[in-house]
Amino acid sequence: MTHLDFLPQFPFPANPLALFGLLLLAGLIGGELVKRALHLPRITGYVLMGMLLGASGFGLLDDKLIAEAWIFVDIALGLVLFELGRRLDVTWLKKDRWLLATGVLESALSFAFIYFALVYFDVKPLYAAVAAAIGVSTSPAVVMLVAQELRAEGQVTERALNLVAINSVIAFVLMTMLLSGVHHEYRAGWITVALHPAYMLAGSLGLGYAACMLALLLARWLGKSAERHLVLLLALIAVTVGAARMLDLSVLLALLSLGVMARNLDRRHDLMAVDTGRIGQLFFVVLFVVGGASLQLSEMAAGGALALVYILARFAGKSIGVLSLTCFSGVRAGSAGLLCIALTPMSSTALAMVQGTADLYPEFGAKLSAIVLSAVLILELLGPLAVQFALKQAGETGEEDRR
Amino acid sequence: MSDSGMEFKSSPGFTVGVELELQILNSRDYNLGRDAADLLAMLGKMQHPGAVKPEITESMVEINSSIHRNHDAVLSELRQIRDAMAQAAERLNVCIAGGGSHPFHKWSERRIYPTERFKQILNLYGYLAKQFTVFGQHVHLGVPNGDEALYLAHMLSRYVPHFIALSASSPFQQGEDTSYQSSRLNTVSAFPLSGQLPFVQSWEEFTIYFNKMRGYGVVGSMKDFYWDIRPKPEYGTVEIRVFDTPLTVERAAQLAAYAQSLARYLLTERPCAPSREVYALYNHNRFQACRYGLEGTLVDAYSQRHIGLREDVLDTLRLVARHAGELGNGAALGQLAAEVEAGASDAGWLRETYRRYNSLNDVARLQSDLWMGRAARNS
Repeated sequence: MTHLDFLPQFPFPANPLALFGLLLLAGLIGGELVKRALHLPRITGYVLMGMLLGASGFGLLDDKLIAEAWIFVDIALGLVLFELGRRLDVTWLKKDRWLLATGVLESALSFAFIYFALVYFDVKPLYAAVAAAIGVSTSPAVVMLVAQELRAEGQVTERALNLVAINSVIAFVLMTMLLSGVHHEYRAGWITVALHPAYMLAGSLGLGYAACMLALLLARWLGKSAERHLVLLLALIAVTVGAARMLDLSVLLALLSLGVMARNLDRRHDLMAVDTGRIGQLFFVVLFVVGGASLQLSEMAAGGALALVYILARFAGKSIGVLSLTCFSGVRAGSAGLLCIALTPMSSTALAMVQGTADLYPEFGAKLSAIVLSAVLILELLGPLAVQFALKQAGETGEEDRR
Repeated sequence: MSDSGMEFKSSPGFTVGVELELQILNSRDYNLGRDAADLLAMLGKMQHPGAVKPEITESMVEINSSIHRNHDAVLSELRQIRDAMAQAAERLNVCIAGGGSHPFHKWSERRIYPTERFKQILNLYGYLAKQFTVFGQHVHLGVPNGDEALYLAHMLSRYVPHFIALSASSPFQQGEDTSYQSSRLNTVSAFPLSGQLPFVQSWEEFTIYFNKMRGYGVVGSMKDFYWDIRPKPEYGTVEIRVFDTPLTVERAAQLAAYAQSLARYLLTERPCAPSREVYALYNHNRFQACRYGLEGTLVDAYSQRHIGLREDVLDTLRLVARHAGELGNGAALGQLAAEVEAGASDAGWLRETYRRYNSLNDVARLQSDLWMGRAARNS
């Protein structure tokens, strides 16, 4: 025993709280630099900072640290998906059926375009289908957060968020259905093939429903207090994310359904529409830094040209879907084009989806990554810009229009 | 503009028209939205009577009725415009509400509707322009000529507290109970050209006054005067602007009928001459009505007595009853009298709703249900 044993030993043990704080600081600085120097959305700065720290940059954020930080990513995703779900208003979709139709058509077309484009370039149909299903979804986090950063409000913003909610649900259902195919590919028993997707779907929805009922019950008991409702919602979001992980259910579907049900089953208006965004902001920064860190520039070489095909096919599918039906909704001319642009981002949810499959069959995940992740890399950087452009052009940002 | 711009267009006697400024709410937390342009574009493609126009901020929209002869015609048209608007609003997932103020919006979040005139107002008045996101009802009364218009405007000034108390529906502002029945008028008073028209008796004198002010560069047109009551030469009307937008089209039509019946009484019976004393007491009486509504008291310039506002309104309703009957407004004013006697008021309903739900979001939501005709008021 020496006199200096009280000093910590190098290397220091990883501490999640220190990691959280450092990621937050890194994101904060990256976001601010990008905003000041290049006038780009802060989110792009978070992602770039993540890339700089991660495998594509200095390699400070390795897989182990990323795994350590995943809990914060989960919380962020939970908050984003819940908020997104709360934007999906079933009453609206009934009054404006063209909006629902637009969501379904753009999802179907983007799936079909990506699928056929990839198959044309000799990607195995099952891989192509899974990649296409992932491409159906627009990143809820990016659209939500850019809208929040710009304090955007209006028809393009609301419609974009509803379309994102619709295509996220459709993407998830497609993924779950394709899971059977993946199981089959890896020769799992027929019980697995049939029951796993059913368990995921029913279990996640059930979890969302249970959490929603608890939220409504407690909200009624608590009475109308924005502060208490905020705590209630944060607690339930955390519990639902955790429970979904424990039960191997889908975080995405459970939280999205919690949000949708909280909005649409609350007939007595017991739950207040409190803003979780301010608290969420902390986790969102970490979400994008970690997202950036897990992007691999080396994938670009492998995915390269195919990623471009993927992006173009996806954009074409979404745009044709949106442009052909949005006019029937009676929104102002030009809104449809801006909606197409606002639907481009891909990001963390796509990563989470690949992550899910990769956990089950690592080899399958790796094959998918090459195609999807290089597309995500490009769209994670361009997406925030696209959304910012669309919302500014629509004149829906909080800044006074000086034109 | 030459003097010919101030020519007073003659209107057929005792006609009435209504303008209502309305709130556009989002359907998420019922805060003010910014969907005026989309709403106007959609209504532009629909069949509806009257007209719909933008207002100073993107959270507002104004509806105008046509020119009418009585209460029923006004009400029927207002209902048609409201229904068309409700239909358009549903497709955009926004709500429309009446009421003189939004209970909890923050003025700094408002955005000016992008027209040249509104941008100029923002440049000139600064933050007042955004605080001007309050909602009023204007009633136009047709008069044959400018001299009659001035007589009517001066005589109606005596009744301004009535108009305020009967329409008061802005007890909440920026998330707080203001303790006023109508807090909206405090916002209007901040503008330098608000207040009352000068005490001139003939249209000729008025034109001289107007040209003088224009010569000084104080105003460019009549629109720049934000008076409580102002003559509107190009319409041939006297415009009363102190009403809060009520919570229902039914109350809006009743208010128009009251003003119209009162105008017919004043113009046909000419009960007395305009008096400066009315203006000496004007701000006191106006304040009483804003602060206490029908519970306030006013000092009558002619009898120099203190009278309870409720009592004075009921007296006046009896006074104009014959004219109301001849216009076809008898039933509407009977209904109004019953409500005044029962002590029902829009501001009271808003406070009661807040007391019951303890959330201003719910107040705004129910305010909108009421306006859209989806719920009946029961207090």
